[in-house]
Amino acid sequence: MVTPKVEIKKLNAWYGDFHVLRNITLSIMPNTVTAVMGPSGCGKTTLIRTINRLSSLVPEFRSTGIILIDKEDIFHSDMDVYKLRKEVGFVFQKPNPFPLSIYDNVAYGPRTHGIRNQNELDEIVRDSLQRAALWEEVGHRLEEPALKLSGGQQQRLCIARALAVNPRILLMDEPVSHLDPISAQKIEDLILTLKKTLTVIIVTHNVQQALRVSDMAAFLYLGELVEYEKTAHMAEAPKDSRTEAFLTGRFG
Amino acid sequence: MIHQSRWRKGLGRLPRNRREWFDKAAFVLLSGIAVLVTIPFFVIMLDVIVKGVPGLSPTLFLESISNLGLEGGIRNAIVGTLELVGIASAVAIPLSIGAAVYTIEYAKQGRIQQMVAFTADVLAGVPSIVFGAFGYTFFVWVLGIGYSLLSGALTLALMMIPTVLRTTQESLRAVPVSLREASLALGATRWSTTWRVTLRACFPAIITGVLLAIARVAGETAPLIFTTGYNAESPWSIFDAVASLPFTIWTFATHPSPIVNQKAYTTAFVLITIVLVVDIAANWMSSKIGILVRKK
Repeated sequence: MVTPKVEIKKLNAWYGDFHVLRNITLSIMPNTVTAVMGPSGCGKTTLIRTINRLSSLVPEFRSTGIILIDKEDIFHSDMDVYKLRKEVGFVFQKPNPFPLSIYDNVAYGPRTHGIRNQNELDEIVRDSLQRAALWEEVGHRLEEPALKLSGGQQQRLCIARALAVNPRILLMDEPVSHLDPISAQKIEDLILTLKKTLTVIIVTHNVQQALRVSDMAAFLYLGELVEYEKTAHMAEAPKDSRTEAFLTGRFG
Repeated sequence: MIHQSRWRKGLGRLPRNRREWFDKAAFVLLSGIAVLVTIPFFVIMLDVIVKGVPGLSPTLFLESISNLGLEGGIRNAIVGTLELVGIASAVAIPLSIGAAVYTIEYAKQGRIQQMVAFTADVLAGVPSIVFGAFGYTFFVWVLGIGYSLLSGALTLALMMIPTVLRTTQESLRAVPVSLREASLALGATRWSTTWRVTLRACFPAIITGVLLAIARVAGETAPLIFTTGYNAESPWSIFDAVASLPFTIWTFATHPSPIVNQKAYTTAFVLITIVLVVDIAANWMSSKIGILVRKK
């Protein structure tokens, strides 16, 4: 029996008085891609932002319940939140490279965690860009400003930046919703490769995309986990009428 | 775009109806006003250049003021102004940036933030003579620093703080939250995020604010009259009295001798040139802002 990478138990979350997540319990296995789906405002983003405690940056956020990553409670007072975020990477909906060079964007994380050796940094930058399938395009112009890249390249750069600190889990918040279909395709292919080395949790609006990239799918509706199933099963035979309504495009 | 081309075409021929007449009249009036407001700049520059430039000579830069301006140059005043502004910047810039970072990046929205912004705004509107009077009582007498380079520089620093503080605050606010989150999501601390991402993205804007503040205080006379004293040479230490360009212009302009009065224009020319160079640098820096911070 493989132990789950992420175990969420009875997670409730609020922004002020607004109850965003209601009693969510779910286990995610290592080296899988899990799609979190649901209509806008159902708490998908909050759920993944809670897994690396980005949501606690908002002052009015509060939560109850537990999240275990490799059996460690992320809300425990001994938890080093900087170490947690290093191990649980995040890719945002809109590409957000730093206004620095391509190289410095990727090297930012390792430098933050104390790597100063130039050869080591070069190695990490190249490796991360290769893993993000961007090396071919930018390997010869690492000193150029990252903001000169196209949207799709910027998003892959953000993925490379996240990979550079060697996370075990990668959280992705609708990573292709701002991109053209070809760039989106590249990132979907990339996700399938990444799954060999890490666990991916991806928020998506797009049912077709979830089918293409994910093993498991979680359907959230108004903060509740309605259904959590193998993606193919869910798509073929949704158990809940709300899931079915979503999958057939009646809301979303 | 369509609007603009029709607008241009419309100017080429006579207006056909009342609305077009009105439009044309407004155009002529507004462009007239726009030209009008630039006139003072050219008149002042012309006046200073015509009366000041003939007085330029190597002596002016190599020798200090002697015999109340009848002889010598203005070297001590030029060096004095550079020293005053340099020390004022060294004091004001870290304080202003520190306060701006604290209020925007660390303090929760609330009283401290409002208080800092409010006091900075009030301070920015305080007449410079009041700063002079304050510098005189506080630095010269209460702290006992005396008439000195340090008293003058600290008084100028107080005047720089509001400008640098407010421009830094505005530029920090303009940095998208997503950039800070990108850094925090990599496991960076808030301090490292501020230092390496936020402030860095703001750098050109902050420099612009600093240069504008420098350009403003470099020409101030009132804060210096009561605080710097006068020194016929360059000061040996920050506790010595110091000469400055604005103060020199004032003493030269009020001197009974027309020869010295003429020198006031030359001194003014030197001061305006310094301020213009700083302003042009500020403009150049602010044109760079768009490149470093992502355009929305």
